[in-house]
Amino acid sequence: MTQLILFNVTNGLIIGAFYVLMAIGLSLILNLSNVINFAHGGFLVVGGYLAYTLEPYLGFWGALLASPFLTAILGLAIERVLIRPLYGRDPLYSLLLTFGLAFMFEDGTRFIWGAQGKPFTVPDFMAQSLSTEFFFLTGYRLFMVAMVAVTVTLLFLLLRFTRAGIRIRAGTLDLDTVSALGVNVRGLRSLNFGVGIFLAGLSGVLAGGQLGLEPTMGAGLLMPSFIAIIVGGVGSLIGTLVGGLLIGVASGLTAVLLPSASEAVIYVLMAVVLLIRPRGLFGEEGMLT
Amino acid sequence: MTAAVDKAAPVAANRERARSLAMLAAIWGVLALAPFWMPYLGGYTALGTRVLVLGLGAMAVNFLLGFTGVLSFGHAAWFGLGAYGCGLFLKFIAHSTPLSIVAGTLLGGVMGAILGALIVRRRGVYFAMVTIAFGQVFYYIAFQWSSLTGGDDGLRGFQRAPLDLGFTTVDILYNSTAFYYFVLICFAAAAAVMGFILRSPFGRTMLAIRENERRARFLGIPIELHIWIVFTLSCFFMAFAGSLYALVNNFADPLGLHYSQSGNFVIMAVLGGMRKFWGPLLGAAVFVVLQDYVSSLTVNWQFFIGLLFVVVVLFFPRGLLGFFQQRVQS
Amino acid sequence: MTLLRVENASKKFGDLVAVDGVSMTVEPGELRAVIGPNGAGKTTFFNLISGFLTPSSGRIVFDGEDVTKLLPARRVWRGMARTFQITEVFPELTARENLRIAVEVASGYRLKTWLSRDADGEVRARVVDLLDMSGLVDKADRLVGELAHGDQRATEIMMALALRPRLLLLDEPTAGMGDKETYDITQLIRKLHKNQNLTIVLIEHDMRVVFHLADRIMVLAEGAMLAEGTPQEIAANEAVQTAYLGKAA
Repeated sequence: MTQLILFNVTNGLIIGAFYVLMAIGLSLILNLSNVINFAHGGFLVVGGYLAYTLEPYLGFWGALLASPFLTAILGLAIERVLIRPLYGRDPLYSLLLTFGLAFMFEDGTRFIWGAQGKPFTVPDFMAQSLSTEFFFLTGYRLFMVAMVAVTVTLLFLLLRFTRAGIRIRAGTLDLDTVSALGVNVRGLRSLNFGVGIFLAGLSGVLAGGQLGLEPTMGAGLLMPSFIAIIVGGVGSLIGTLVGGLLIGVASGLTAVLLPSASEAVIYVLMAVVLLIRPRGLFGEEGMLT
Repeated sequence: MTAAVDKAAPVAANRERARSLAMLAAIWGVLALAPFWMPYLGGYTALGTRVLVLGLGAMAVNFLLGFTGVLSFGHAAWFGLGAYGCGLFLKFIAHSTPLSIVAGTLLGGVMGAILGALIVRRRGVYFAMVTIAFGQVFYYIAFQWSSLTGGDDGLRGFQRAPLDLGFTTVDILYNSTAFYYFVLICFAAAAAVMGFILRSPFGRTMLAIRENERRARFLGIPIELHIWIVFTLSCFFMAFAGSLYALVNNFADPLGLHYSQSGNFVIMAVLGGMRKFWGPLLGAAVFVVLQDYVSSLTVNWQFFIGLLFVVVVLFFPRGLLGFFQQRVQS
Repeated sequence: MTLLRVENASKKFGDLVAVDGVSMTVEPGELRAVIGPNGAGKTTFFNLISGFLTPSSGRIVFDGEDVTKLLPARRVWRGMARTFQITEVFPELTARENLRIAVEVASGYRLKTWLSRDADGEVRARVVDLLDMSGLVDKADRLVGELAHGDQRATEIMMALALRPRLLLLDEPTAGMGDKETYDITQLIRKLHKNQNLTIVLIEHDMRVVFHLADRIMVLAEGAMLAEGTPQEIAANEAVQTAYLGKAA
C-alpha cells in the first residue's frame, strides 16, 4: 500500500511538474498580454514532434536543446503576424484566434507526422529503473522533474534580476505605467510570448520522452494547466507553480483511492478554491477579475 | 434594437421601422419556406433543422456575449446538459416530446443558474477561463458515467415521440418536414422571448453593462445580479436548444459538451455579427454549411475550421452583418 | 438638517495614506468645491463618499443614515449620484438611449414600466425634458461616443441628474475642456444648483469655475484637510497659497 501511494504521489508530482511547465508559460502570456493562449497545447505538440524529427541528426541532447528554440521562433512569428494586431482589442478575439490555431496545429501535426503515435527515445541509461523496490523511479522521470525544477528556478531568477524580467513583472501589475516610462511594450510582449512558447516546446520534448507523441497530447494537458492557473490565482506565477503541483498530487492520490475520479478531482479542487477564495490561492484582489 | 421614436426626426424613424419590418418579414419568409427552396440549392431539410437549432444556441451565447459583454466559453455544457436531459427523459421516464424538452431545458438551466452564482464576480478573461474549466466538468461526467450516459459512445436508444395535439397526432419522427416546422415553432418562441427581453428596460440595462460597467454600477444597477440573471436566462435558452438537438439526432454526444463545441458557438456568433440580433443565426448557417461541405472533402477538415476562426478574427471582427453594413454605408 | 457628513475618514493603500482623517459636512442646497494640488487625495475622498472604495476608518453619514459600508448601487438608491473624472458614458448608444437607461433605472424595477404604454410615455417625456435642459436635443440620436467631449460630459451629468439625486458628486466636470465648453458646463451646473436647489459637491482644478460656483470650499493637501471656508476666506488663506505656490514652484 505504501508503495502504491508513493508510486502515485511520485506520479502526481511528475504530472504536476508538466502542468507547471505548461501553465507557467500560459500564465506569463495571460498576465502580460491578457491573451488566453489556446494554442499553447499546439506549440507543445510541435515541440515534441520537432524533437522526434531532429533526434536522428542531433541525438537526444541536441534535440532537447534545439527543439524548444525552434518552437519559440515559430511562436514569435505567429505572435508578430497574427496576435500583435489584436492587443488592445477585446480579449475575445485573441482567444478565438488561438483557439483556431489549436485546431490547425493539431490537424497540421496529423497531416505531417501521421495520426499514429510516435516514440521519442530517451538514452538507455535513463530508461532504467533506479531501484527494484521503487520500480517506478526511472532515471528519465527524475531527469524530467530536475529539468522542470531547474527551468522554473531559472525563470524566476531571470524575472527577478534581469532588466527585462523586472519589466515583465511590472507590466503584469500595471502595463500603462510601464509604457509611460518609455519601455517598448511591443518588444516586451514578444519576448514574453517567446519565453512562454519556449516552455511549451520544452514540455513537449519532455512529455514525448515519457508518454510518446500524439497529435492530441497538447489538448489533453491544456485544461489542467488552466485549472492550475485558476487554483493558484490569475496574475501570480508562484500561484501557478503551487497550483500545478497541487492538482498533480491530488489527481495522483485520487488515482489510488478512487481511480475513476482522478481526472474529476482537479475540477472539484477548483470549485472548492473558487468558493472559499474566489481570487485563487495566491491571486490578488482586483487583478484581472 | 428599439428605435427611439419621438418628435425628433419622425420620418427617419418611420423609415427605420419600415426597414426592420421588411427585414423581419424576409427572415421569417426564408425560414418558413426553407423545406421548399433548400433542395434546389443542394441542401436537405435536416440540414435546415440543424441550422435552426445551432443558430438558437449561438443566439443564446450572444445574448450574454453580444448584448451584455460577458464572454462565456463553456456554454456547450448547458447545450449538452439539455441534450442529455431530454434524451434521458425520453429513454427512461416518459415517451413525450414536449415534456422531454422541458426536462432538458430545466436540467441545463438550473445547473447554469447554480454555477453562475459561483462565478458571477469574475470578469473578462478570468470569467472565460472559469467557464471553460467548469464546462469540462460536465463533459467528464457524461464521458465517465457510462452506465447512465453511454460514455464515449453517447446516449442512444431514444426517439422523438409523435406530437399529440388532442384532435390529431403529428408524426415528427419520420416526416422530416413536419419536424422542421416543429423546430421552427420552438425557435420562433425562444427568439420572441429573447427579443422581448432585449427591448425591455431590463434589456437596456444589459447594454448599459456591456457599454460601461462602472457607469452602470453608479446608476444604481446591481451589476452582479443582472449578470447572473442574464447568464441564467442564456443557459436556459442554451439548454432548450440542446434539448431540440437531442431530438434532431435521436442521440446525445459527449462531444456536444466539450469546450471545442463552446468555441463553435462563439465563432458562429462572431461570424454572423454579435451586435446584431440575427447575426448568430446567419453565422450558424454559414458555419454548418461550410462544416458539412469541408468534412465531405477532406479528413483534415478541422484544419479548415481552425482557419475559419483565424480568418473571421482578422478580417470580419464585426461579423458578416457588420461587414455588409459597413460596405453599404461607405 | 445636514445632508452629508463625513467623519474623520481615512483611506490607506498599504503604507500609503491617501486620505488622512478628513471631515466634512454639507448642508442641503449647498454647492461645495473640493480643491487641492495633484495627488492631494481628492478623487479618493470622492470614492469614499460614493462607495467606490470603503474607508479604512471613519464614517460616511448620508441624510442621517450611516452608509459607510453600503454598496455603490445602494447609495444611488438613497439619492447619491456621481460623475467621473474621465467621462463614463455608454459610447455605442445614442444620447437619448443613455438618458433613457438612467431614467428607467431611477423609476425602479416595476413590471408596470415593462408593459404599460403610459409608463413608457412618461419615461420618454422625462428623457426629452433632460435633453432640453442640457441643450442636447439636436444631438439626441447620435452615438454618444461620436459627440464632442463637452457634450459627452453634459450627457453624463444629465444621466446622474436623471436619478433625481439629492446629492450630486461631480469629479472635475471641466477636465480637459476648452474655454467655451468649460463655460457651458459651468452654466449647466449653476442652472441645476440654482433652479432645482440641488446639493452639489464637486472637485475642480479650474479656479475660475470654483470661485464662480462654490458656496464653500474645502482644500485638501497630502490627504489631509488644509482649510475650509467661503471663497473669500480661502482666497485670503496663507496656508492655501503656500500649498499651491509651493507645488507650482
